[in-house]
Amino acid sequence: MGKFVIRRVAQAILVIITAMLLIFLALFALGDPFASSGDKTVPPDTQAALRAKFGLDKPLPVQFLVYLKNMFTGDFGIDFDQRRQVSDMLSQAIPATVRLTVVAILLDILIGVLAGIIAAVWRYSFWDVLVTLLTTFAIGIPVFVIGLSLRANVSGELFFPTVPRSAFGDQPFWLIEVLLPAFTLAVADAAFVARLMRGSMLEVLRADYIRTARAKGLSERTVIGKHALRNSIIPVVTYLGIGIGALLGGAIITETIFQYPGVGLLLYKSILNNNNPVIMAITAFGVIVFVAISLMIDILYAYLDPRIRLS
Amino acid sequence: MTIPGDPSDLRLPAETLLAEPAPEDEFLPVEEGVDPIKRGPSSQFADIRRRFKRNKLAMIGLAVVGLLIILAIVGPLIAPYDPYEQNLLNTLQAPSADHLLGTDELGRDLFSGMLYGLGLALMVGIGVMLGSLFLGLLLGAIAGYLGGATDSVIMRITDIFLAFPYLIGAIILIRTLDPGRQSIFPVVFALILLAWPTTGRLMRGQVLATREAEYVEAARSIGAGGPRIVLRHILPNSVAPVLVYAFTGIGVAIVSMAGLSFLGVGVPPDTPEWGRMISQGFKFFTVPGSSYLWVFPSIAIVITTLAFAFVADGLRDSLDPKLR
Repeated sequence: MGKFVIRRVAQAILVIITAMLLIFLALFALGDPFASSGDKTVPPDTQAALRAKFGLDKPLPVQFLVYLKNMFTGDFGIDFDQRRQVSDMLSQAIPATVRLTVVAILLDILIGVLAGIIAAVWRYSFWDVLVTLLTTFAIGIPVFVIGLSLRANVSGELFFPTVPRSAFGDQPFWLIEVLLPAFTLAVADAAFVARLMRGSMLEVLRADYIRTARAKGLSERTVIGKHALRNSIIPVVTYLGIGIGALLGGAIITETIFQYPGVGLLLYKSILNNNNPVIMAITAFGVIVFVAISLMIDILYAYLDPRIRLS
Repeated sequence: MTIPGDPSDLRLPAETLLAEPAPEDEFLPVEEGVDPIKRGPSSQFADIRRRFKRNKLAMIGLAVVGLLIILAIVGPLIAPYDPYEQNLLNTLQAPSADHLLGTDELGRDLFSGMLYGLGLALMVGIGVMLGSLFLGLLLGAIAGYLGGATDSVIMRITDIFLAFPYLIGAIILIRTLDPGRQSIFPVVFALILLAWPTTGRLMRGQVLATREAEYVEAARSIGAGGPRIVLRHILPNSVAPVLVYAFTGIGVAIVSMAGLSFLGVGVPPDTPEWGRMISQGFKFFTVPGSSYLWVFPSIAIVITTLAFAFVADGLRDSLDPKLR
C-alpha cells in the first residue's frame, strides 16, 4: 500500500508541475503582455520597467522556479491591473466558490440519487421513463441556456436576489444568493448521477446477496435502503468526487451569468483585461485541486480493493 | 475521467461505456419477419444498427440531425440576408415578415445569422470529433499494443491534459494560439487537443482487452506483423465503443464552442455563432420585448444538442443493451 501511495503521489506532483509549466509558458513566454498593440503604444523604457517590476526580465527557467518557490509560501505575485496581491483576491473568491460547490453537490445527491433509485426499483414504470427522459434533456441542454433562463425569469422574483447584487443596503444571505447558480450547476450533474445510480443499482439488484436478503425475509425497504444502496453508490461517489474537484476550479460560465463573486467570475474578469498573474494562479489552483481529489479517490479505491494496488 | 460542473459536464465519462455488463437475464425480443436462424452471423456493427433502429427516441434524433445537416448545407442559399450585413436604420426589430426572427443591435438579420451559425456549429462539432478520434485511436492503439515505456509516456501526457478543467484549458490554449481572435481554427484545434485523451484512454483499454485474445495470438503465430495485427484484428474488434463515444463528442464540441464564445473567447468577434449571439442578445434582456435576441439562438442550440444526445444515447444503448 505504501509503495502504491508513493508512486501515485509522485505521479500527481509530476502532472501538476508539468501542467503549471505549460500554463506558465502559455501565459508569459508566448506573447508579451506589455507590448504595444493596436492603439496602445508603450514606450520601450516603460516596457522594460514593467518587465522588471513583474520579474519578466529574467530568463524563463528562473522565472518559473521563482514562481514555484513563491507559490509554496502562498505568494502568487501581484496582478497587472491594480497591483493587488493575487493571493488576497483568491482568498476572497475561494470561500464563495466553496459554498457554491457544496450546495450544488448537495442538490446533486438529493435529486440524483433519489431519482436514480426510483427509476431502478420501479424499472420500466412511468417514473423510470420520466427520469430517463428528464435526464436526457437535463444533460443535453447547455448550462448557459439554463442559467440565462433562470436569471431572466427567476432572479429578482420571490425571495431570489437581483443580479448583479445591489451595491447598497443589506447583502442577501449567502444561502439565498447561492441557490440559483447552484441549481444551474446541479441540473446536468444530478441527471448524470441519476443515470449512474440507476445503472449501478440495476446491476446490484441482480446480485445473489440481494436474493439472499430477500429470501431471508428482510423487508423491501431494508433490502433497497441498506444492501442495494450501499453497494451501488460507489460510482456515484467517484463521479461526485471528481465533480467537486472540477467545480472548485471555478464554474466560469455559471458564475459569470449570476455575477457570483467566486473563482470563476474572477477568472472571467482577468481574461477580459489580460490579467495574466490572476489567470495563472486560478488555473494552477484548479489543476492542483482537481489532481489532488483524483489522487485521493485513487488511493481510497486502492485501500478498498487490493487488486488495484498490484496492477 | 469525467469533469462535471459547468460546460465540462458535457464531457461524458468514457468509463461508463466500458462498465462491466450485467449478466443477461432477459432475451432480446425476436424481430418479426426475421427467422433468427436464417439471419445468420452478424457483425457487431450490424447488431448495433439493428438495436438502434428499434429505439424511437434515437431515430427521431437521427432524423433531426439529418434535417440539420441538410439545412446547414442549403442554409447559405435560403438565407434571406447576408448575416454580416448591417442596417443601422433597422436595429432591434422584433420578428416580422421582413425579418423572420428579427434583427440584432446592428440591424443584422437573426434568421440568416442562425443559419450560418448552424453550418459553423456542425462543421466544428464534426471536425473536432474526427480530429480527436484520429489522435485518440492512433495514440491509444499504440499505447495499448506496445505497452511498456511508450504506454507510460502516452498515458502521462493524457494525465496532464485531463488535469486541466476543460473550459479553462480551452481558454488558455486559444488565447495562446490566437491572441487576436483572428480565426475559428484555434478553437477547433484546442478542442481536439482537450478531447483526444479520453478517446485515447478508451481505445487503449479496448486494445489491452483485445490484445490477449486467441485470434490475435493465432495471427501472431502465423507470422502476421504488428501493423497488420493492429489494423486487421485488434481494431475491428475494439473500435465500436470508441466510435460511439466519439459521437457524443460532436455535441460536446458544439456546446463547448458556444460556451467559449459566450465568454468572449474563441470565434472572431461578429462571427454569426450561436453562443456569441446569445451573449450579445442577453445584454438587452431588460429591454421589454427583446428576449427573442437570445431565446431563438438558445432554442437552436438546444434542439441541436438534444438531437445529437438522443442519437448518442441510442448508440450507447445499442452497444450494450443489457444496461437499459
